[in-house]
Amino acid sequence: MTLSVGSPVAGRVVSLTEVPDPVFAQAMVGPGIAVEPDRVAADVVSPVDGTIVTLHPHAFVVATESGAGVLVHLGIDTVKRKGEGFTLHVVKGETVRAGQAVVSWDPAEVEAAGFSPICPVVALDAPADSLGEFSEGATVAVGDQLFSWQR
Amino acid sequence: MADEKAEKILAALGGASNIIEIEPCITRLRCELEDGSVVDEKALKALGAHGVMRQGNVVQVIVGPEADTIASDIEDLL
Repeated sequence: MTLSVGSPVAGRVVSLTEVPDPVFAQAMVGPGIAVEPDRVAADVVSPVDGTIVTLHPHAFVVATESGAGVLVHLGIDTVKRKGEGFTLHVVKGETVRAGQAVVSWDPAEVEAAGFSPICPVVALDAPADSLGEFSEGATVAVGDQLFSWQR
Repeated sequence: MADEKAEKILAALGGASNIIEIEPCITRLRCELEDGSVVDEKALKALGAHGVMRQGNVVQVIVGPEADTIASDIEDLL
């Protein structure tokens, strides 16, 4: 089956290699793409239907029923914000629909604090050739497809 | 089994006495160590780490999404 992975944020889609963090740029935890978010306060939504299996203020993983894990990371090194500026709308273990608000944040505030607000969206442990239809270079709204994942 | 993995990771990081702080961040363990030079990168990779990044005594071990679980298993051993 093909899983469509939607954008958790509005912005401009760029290659994962543009993320200023080697873990993401070198796809160490899986292939994917990144979104340079619009610099306005916004809700971050789930990219797929599934369950919130990992939840931090600045990052989360949604696992689909078939076990596909999609990681959304809000900015780089933002763990150092200790949750400041992030408002969670779900709890760990909660079932979510694609497009459902998970957390609110303000990319402009993150940037002003000295962090890159870029958002890597990663297909955890996926073979690189299982992803396709990348929307790299596109300007996306929340929920627009970022890539498809053959499973 | 999981605890055994945590034990081995702890050993590869130089043991409990070398740990100042371990903080999980979704895909990685951020480890602040007394001495970063003693870290056994080969052992960490053999234990399934996708990568190890060193910046002096701050060593990040990329373990994937189970980072939270591993970190709390290691905390239990400290």
